[in-house]
Amino acid sequence: MLLNPVVFHSPRTIKEAVQLYGSLEDVKILAGGTFLLNSLKLLKRKGTKTTANIISLRKINELKGIRMDGNRLVIPAMTIINDLFESPFLTDNFAILHTVCRNISTNPIRNMATVGGNLTCRYTWTEMGAVMIALNAQMHFTGKDGEKAVVSSEEFFKNAAKSDKLFTHVTIERDPLARLAYRRVKKTMHVDVPLLAVCVKVYIKDGKFNNSCVSVNNGTSFAQRDNQLENFLNNSLYTTETVDLALNHLDVNIYDKRSDEYKSHMFRVSIKNALLEIIKSEQSAHA
Amino acid sequence: MHKVNLTINNKNFPINLNGNETLMEVLRNQLGLTGTKTACEESECGTCTVQINGKAVLACITMACDLEGDNILTIEGVADEDQLHPVQQAYLDYGAVQCGFCIPGMIMSTKALLEKNPAPSQEEIEYALDGNICRCAGYPKIFDAVKKAGQVMQKGWQKVNETENISREKLSSINQGLTYEEYVKISAVANPEAQK
Repeated sequence: MLLNPVVFHSPRTIKEAVQLYGSLEDVKILAGGTFLLNSLKLLKRKGTKTTANIISLRKINELKGIRMDGNRLVIPAMTIINDLFESPFLTDNFAILHTVCRNISTNPIRNMATVGGNLTCRYTWTEMGAVMIALNAQMHFTGKDGEKAVVSSEEFFKNAAKSDKLFTHVTIERDPLARLAYRRVKKTMHVDVPLLAVCVKVYIKDGKFNNSCVSVNNGTSFAQRDNQLENFLNNSLYTTETVDLALNHLDVNIYDKRSDEYKSHMFRVSIKNALLEIIKSEQSAHA
Repeated sequence: MHKVNLTINNKNFPINLNGNETLMEVLRNQLGLTGTKTACEESECGTCTVQINGKAVLACITMACDLEGDNILTIEGVADEDQLHPVQQAYLDYGAVQCGFCIPGMIMSTKALLEKNPAPSQEEIEYALDGNICRCAGYPKIFDAVKKAGQVMQKGWQKVNETENISREKLSSINQGLTYEEYVKISAVANPEAQK
């Protein structure tokens, strides 16, 4: 057997799932399984004790089905990456999610991995953290007594999300004025080993960058914003010269603290290219 | 112990599971469906690709207990009895199979792609098969086979061959490094009944 013996639970409702989660000790939540099951196999091979209980969310229909709620995009936790990729709702600022999904791992993984798993998996390299911060996404949770909680994705990643509640969905406001670009770097061409992700959001007003948000993940701790770079960008002219200068204003503590030289370099290249992409698309829109 | 009814290749398999079995282990060890291969066991190689509800997924990271009510299709269920599926036939005709170990997974991913998009571009093919690794590096012929299978699934073999003025026999001869005439002669000696 690839996995140690485990008690497998398959609740059919959110209520059932949160009650189980609250009542069991030594438990892991199973969403798409693309990360959890591999890590449980690895732990078994090392002879390390693994979780006694698994709660699978796969049969909970309430956690599925992307939809619009007025001006807000609602992405339930068990949304499969490829379903999000193919969603007709991905226009305006939501379109950046199309790019993100396209860049995640390989096709069978994109057919299995979920948005909820990607956001709540407690590893720094997951792809969606940076983009959710840039989109100012709100993360919704339900507790065992049915109590609801909402936190911003920035807050969620800052506090590393230790919670006894179940993540149910994420909501994002439509914003046609935001300009976004996303870059992801992987280690090898074929087998996908993620290295880093960068998402840049800016508004352009009177030829200047405004309200910018630069969020990064992997090689850092959890996904976080580079406030120092954002302060530089705000009110700077949106030109290629500004982009060159911007690279002198990175918060080195974010990029260099846990990164090797190559990774730090790729962060710089990714941020530069993301900003240049925004400038290029803005210029071609006005040409 | 969980009593689970799995639907595999349109047949019901009532089985008892402990709860920690992956689909790959159940297919190969309990049901003897060894067409689904196992290699890396950690979702990197794609040899264990099967279809669940029409989507290409990896059996090595799918919990078997979770699949009650889902339609599971393995390589054993792709052909229609003796009639190969167009994807299988195209892989054969184009010599896309070298050592063959990756092929069940390749075929499952190809089938899932072509059922949604029978005329994929080169980029779309590479995107859909990016989770299936061929250590023989036989990708060019695999990509050719995918394109051909897509045409056949849209129009049927006869129509495609008429358009291209090329028969499956001719293709086989090319793949074996023979002229068509040589191929016909060898086939006649090897299988005289088929030539009548």
